[in-house]
Amino acid sequence: MISVLSTNITSPLGMTSEANYKAVRAGRSALARLENWHGMPSPFTASVFSESQLEELKVDGFSRFESMVIRSVKAALDGTCIDVGSDRTVFILSTTKANVEALLPYSGDEYLDPGRTAEKIGRHLGFVTEPVVVCNACTSGVTAQILADRLVSSGRYDTAVVCGADCVSLFTAAGFLSFRSLSVDECRPFDMERTGLNLGETAATVVFGNPEKYGDADSWKLCSGALNNDAYDISAPSPAGDGVLDVIGRTLTNVSADELATVCVHGTATMFNDQMESKAIERASLSSVPLTALKGYFGHTLGASGVLETIIVMQAVDDGVVLPVRGFSELGVSGRVNVSNEMSCTDKRSFLKLISGFGGCNGALVMSHGNDACNSDSGTESEARILHSVRITDSSLVIDGHSESVSSRGKQLLTDIYTERIGDFPKFYRMDMLSRLAFVASELLMKLKPETLPSSGIGVLLFNQTTSILADRQHISTISDTESFFPSPSAFLYTLPNIVTGEIAIRNGCRGETSMFILNGRNEEMMDDIIKATLSLSNPGGLVTGWADCCSEDTFEADMKLIIK
Amino acid sequence: MDELILNLKNQIIEALNLEEITPDDIDSDAPLFGGGLGLDSIDALELIVILEKYYGIKLASPAEGRGIFKSIRSIAEYIEQNRTR
Repeated sequence: MISVLSTNITSPLGMTSEANYKAVRAGRSALARLENWHGMPSPFTASVFSESQLEELKVDGFSRFESMVIRSVKAALDGTCIDVGSDRTVFILSTTKANVEALLPYSGDEYLDPGRTAEKIGRHLGFVTEPVVVCNACTSGVTAQILADRLVSSGRYDTAVVCGADCVSLFTAAGFLSFRSLSVDECRPFDMERTGLNLGETAATVVFGNPEKYGDADSWKLCSGALNNDAYDISAPSPAGDGVLDVIGRTLTNVSADELATVCVHGTATMFNDQMESKAIERASLSSVPLTALKGYFGHTLGASGVLETIIVMQAVDDGVVLPVRGFSELGVSGRVNVSNEMSCTDKRSFLKLISGFGGCNGALVMSHGNDACNSDSGTESEARILHSVRITDSSLVIDGHSESVSSRGKQLLTDIYTERIGDFPKFYRMDMLSRLAFVASELLMKLKPETLPSSGIGVLLFNQTTSILADRQHISTISDTESFFPSPSAFLYTLPNIVTGEIAIRNGCRGETSMFILNGRNEEMMDDIIKATLSLSNPGGLVTGWADCCSEDTFEADMKLIIK
Repeated sequence: MDELILNLKNQIIEALNLEEITPDDIDSDAPLFGGGLGLDSIDALELIVILEKYYGIKLASPAEGRGIFKSIRSIAEYIEQNRTR
C-alpha cells in the first residue's frame, strides 16, 4: 500500500487534475474529427492538443512528448515536499511509444529510445536515480502504479513519481487503423452501436509515497493491485474475461464489492474489449456496481490511460459522484453491468480500476480514500533462486554456463537454434527479431523447467533498451508513402515490445504477470530490485526474466533466466 | 483462376512471412484458419490488407471477411467478382 501525495493531468481538456475533472463533470470532451491529419488517408476522431496548447506546453530543447511529461511532473511535484534529488525517489515513465514520432518523415528530431528519453527528462527534473520505463501496451499505466507500490513497499524507495504519457501520431493512428479498431465518430463505450476507439494524448502524473513517512491517514491509498496474462490470443482478450476475473479476485482482498463507489473499466469501445469486460464483471458479482468509462472524454491515451483515469475517478469519488459514460445510450454487451449516461451520487470511498492490453495482459487496482482496512504489505523477503539460464548473442549460445557450438551468426543463428532445438511453432517465422530472440531463449529455458513447476503460475518480465526499434522502422516503411499507404497489422503489433512476453505466455500457458521494462542501459541493480519486489509481493510460481535487446539483425543479446523463490 | 490463386498464395506467403512454405504446400481448398498454416486473428487483418492493396477491395472488419477467408479458393472467387484493380 502506498499513499497518493499529489497528481496532475495535462490534457487537451486542461493543465491540472482539477481543470480536467471540472471539464469532464461538465460533460466536455476534447474529441474532434480530424481530416487529412499528418498523412492519415481517412478521417478519424481523436483528442489532441491545439497549436496554442502545444505552444504553451513547449519546453525549449525538448520534443512534444518530453515537454508534456516535464510539464505534468513539475506541476504534480509543486507543493509537495518530495526531494527528487534523493536516491530514495524513483521516476517511472509509463508509455507505449514515447518519442516514436521523431522516426517519422514529418519530424526531423533526433530519435531517442524511451530509456534515454526518460533519462533526459529525469535529469532535467532533478532526479538522480535511474528511471524505469514501463512499456506494457495499454496496461502500462496500471503496471507502472503497481511497480511504484512494489518498489516503495519493498523498502527500496520512499517515493515514486509515476507519469503516464503518449502522443497521438501517424505511427499509432495508422497502426490502429490497420487493426480496424479506429472509430470515425466519437467512441461509444458499452453501446450497441459502438464501432471502435478514439485515440487521445495526455500526460498524467501521480506522486506516491511510503504511508509511514508521507501523507496522512486521510490521503488516497493504492491498496492493492494485480497483473496477469490470459494466455489466450496475442491481440484478442479471452472472451469470457478469465484474465480480468482473476485480477479482480486478487485485488479485492481488503476492500469488498459493496464498498466500491464504481468500477472504472478500460472501456475502449471496441467490440471485443467491452464485451469481455462485461462478462468478467458479471462473473465477479460486480453487476450492481456503477461503471465509469472515460474514453468518451479523453480518447484512449494508451500509456497514460491507467494513470489519467485513476486520477479522474479519485476526483469524482471525492466529489461524491459517479461520472456518466459519455457516448453510451443502449446496452450492447451480454454481461450484466450497471452502466449509465447520467451522473449518480455515491458516498463510498473506494474504487476498482481495470485495464487490459495487447499481448494478453490484464491489470487491476483498488484505490481507497481513508480506508483503515487497507493495510500495508511489505511482502515476504525471499531470495530469488536461479534454476536455469540461457544467453544468446549474435554469435554465441550459452546454456547454464556451458557454451554450445554454433555455425551461423545473426538472424540465421536464431533460425538455426529454432530449427535444430525447437521446430514445432511455425509462428516463429512471423515474429519480429526481438520476439524471435526472446522466444527462442524462453523455449530453451522452458525445456529445462522441472515438471513440478506448473507453467500456469509463471510470469514473464523482460528488460531492454532499444524497445522494438526494428519493428518500428518496419511499420514506418508501410506508412511513409501516401500513394501506397498499407500499414501491416502484424508489423504494428510488434511495435509493442511487450508482445513477446505475450507470445511466451500463450505458447506455454503462463498465466502469471507479463511486463516489458525499458531501461537506459542494462542496469542489473534496477532489474534485481524489480524482480525481487515482484517475487515477494505478487507471488508468481516463477519468472522467465532477464535482458532481451535487439538493435539490428546482426546485433542482439538475450540473457534470460528461469527463477523461483 | 489458377494464375490468380498462385498470385494470392505468393502474396500471402510474403505478407505473413511464411518462410519455408511454397505455393505448392498450400492446399487451395483447405481451411485457412485452425488448419496447417496456424493463422490467427492478426493474420485475418493481414488478409484484409492484401485484398485492398492488390485488388482494391475494402472490407470494413474481420467479421465481414469470415465467409470469404475460408480457403484460398474462396478468397480467389471473391476477388474475381469484386476486384477493382
